[in-house]
Amino acid sequence: MQTTKILFQALRTMGRYRMRTLLMMLGVLVGISSLAVLTAIGEGTKREMMQRFKNMIGTFDTIIVRPGGGSFRGMPTLVNVPATLKFEDAKAIANQLSEVKAVAQVQTAFDVDVKYRDRLASPAIFGVTANWLALRSEDVADGTFLAEEQNASLARVAIIGADVRKELFPDEDPLQKTIRIGDVPFQIIGLLRPRGAGPAGGSLDNLILIPVNTGARRLFNRDFLTMLLVQIKNPERGAEASDKVAALLRQRHHIQPPGLDDFTVTNPTATMAQVTRARNTLSKILTGVAAMALLIGGVVIMSLMSIAVSERRKEIGVRRSVGAARADIVIQFLLEAALVSLAGGIIGVLLGWSGMQLVTRILRLPQILVWQPFVLSILLSLGVGIAFGIYPAWSASKVDPIKALRS
Amino acid sequence: MIEIENISKNYSRGETGLVAALKEASFTIAPGEFVVVQGASGCGKSTLLNILGCLDRPSAGSYRLDGKDVSRLSDKQLSQVRNAKIGFIFQSFNLLPRTTAVENVEVPMVYRDGRVDRKKAQSALERVGLGNRANHFAAELSGGEQQRVAVARALINNPALILADEPTGNLDLAAGTEIMRLLQTLHEEGRTIVLVTHDATIAAYAAREILLLDGVIVSDRSRNDSRVRKC
Repeated sequence: MQTTKILFQALRTMGRYRMRTLLMMLGVLVGISSLAVLTAIGEGTKREMMQRFKNMIGTFDTIIVRPGGGSFRGMPTLVNVPATLKFEDAKAIANQLSEVKAVAQVQTAFDVDVKYRDRLASPAIFGVTANWLALRSEDVADGTFLAEEQNASLARVAIIGADVRKELFPDEDPLQKTIRIGDVPFQIIGLLRPRGAGPAGGSLDNLILIPVNTGARRLFNRDFLTMLLVQIKNPERGAEASDKVAALLRQRHHIQPPGLDDFTVTNPTATMAQVTRARNTLSKILTGVAAMALLIGGVVIMSLMSIAVSERRKEIGVRRSVGAARADIVIQFLLEAALVSLAGGIIGVLLGWSGMQLVTRILRLPQILVWQPFVLSILLSLGVGIAFGIYPAWSASKVDPIKALRS
Repeated sequence: MIEIENISKNYSRGETGLVAALKEASFTIAPGEFVVVQGASGCGKSTLLNILGCLDRPSAGSYRLDGKDVSRLSDKQLSQVRNAKIGFIFQSFNLLPRTTAVENVEVPMVYRDGRVDRKKAQSALERVGLGNRANHFAAELSGGEQQRVAVARALINNPALILADEPTGNLDLAAGTEIMRLLQTLHEEGRTIVLVTHDATIAAYAAREILLLDGVIVSDRSRNDSRVRKC
């Protein structure tokens, strides 16, 4: 009750000393708006990165196995990998490891000529098993996906990506049409839903999927795989499952220490963590800069508040003489600092938010819909006000009413 | 109402050591008395008033207000005593700046139980003849009006004791007379009034006069008889 009444006194003072209130708010406003915007951008780009990774590898519960040891950059294809990863390896992983849910076999070839009438495209060709779609949580936009029987019977069927469709069938329905991959005719049975950009920014839609067995026997004449996608049952135990897969492959390939692996097992979650770490460092620096601005805002509040205390000594004396205890004076000045800072924080967040909307619209950036930093910033502004209001409030309570009233 | 016994107040002043502002003062003021404390500046009358007003604590001696020893109370308790029992009137009015007359009168209600009663503040202003100035800011009022607002503020919590420190010192004769008449009305209502002044014409309003010299009470006499009670 008493505090409520003091709150109204504080609000009245803020209203009557508008210039001072405004100046005090300004520091916090600048600090808070930059803090909110920078953390929101940091968080937003992090999510964008996650999304791109997800675009590339489908789901986060998948381990990637590639032939060849050591470091390897770029996409493995039939021409740049050793012939060490066999179809039998894929089956063994699927059947012998309890951690594994499913294994997709993949054969990849880049820049294969694909023709439809007089049109030519050179997309990536992915020979895949029927479980590819589910494993990568992808979807067909039209038609159907491969069935396992088509893979077993070496059917010449194909599913094309959005870019291929654009190039070969600009104004035609591609379903049931026959295209030539290399020189082998394939019938189109489905269209993939567009996936957008990968982590490097390139399109992920310039590809054709065919049954892996058909590709191996009828198109490429290769009996090894370029990639295995191993879906695991418990995504949180990816590292453990990676070790099991590696151990099984070593056993199958008769590799004994100190012999080197002729394959590479990658846990995508780990890779992603590595990539995002660099970004996190940058956003931490930016957050630090904004935090400095906020700190300065707090110091502005503290100094203006201290000046106000010496200007308002008489008021303090009067309030003490009519019955305000020291604690009441502390509460009043603390409330003033907290309210001013909170108001600065709220306005700062609103300005930051609308400024960010404006910038993303003008630069045509993807919308960043992260609201948590804004709510946190408002709470933070309240904290700053209280923290930097403590000293002035305390010194206000120490004003000697006798001297203050006599002056 | 007021019983003080052997009250002393010392201030430490640098290397010269203690300076005694008040030396073993003792007196009793009955409820409803109108007492004037007279003396030259620096004689300790303000110190005495601050102690009586519970703004200051004596270095030695005891002070009983309304039968209760207040000389050793905590800050919180003293504040409650000031709020409920004492109304201050200062020489320099001491109204809050950028605050209207009625808002000034309301301030003591902030620090007691219950809500801030705007109507009550308004009627207190009407009592001092400023009902039509309620929403004027302090700076827009004349000195006499400001002091009347201060009187209304001192009255708002209905205190039994009014302490006035040179209330007419900054006012012209007419405004000063107005304030003294108000104080006299309060006295007639049965309130105890202690007024500090060095002005003999003002002192004439009181029935009893305490004279201070260098922190010592040199005389304490009633106006009606000229018999001087030596202390």
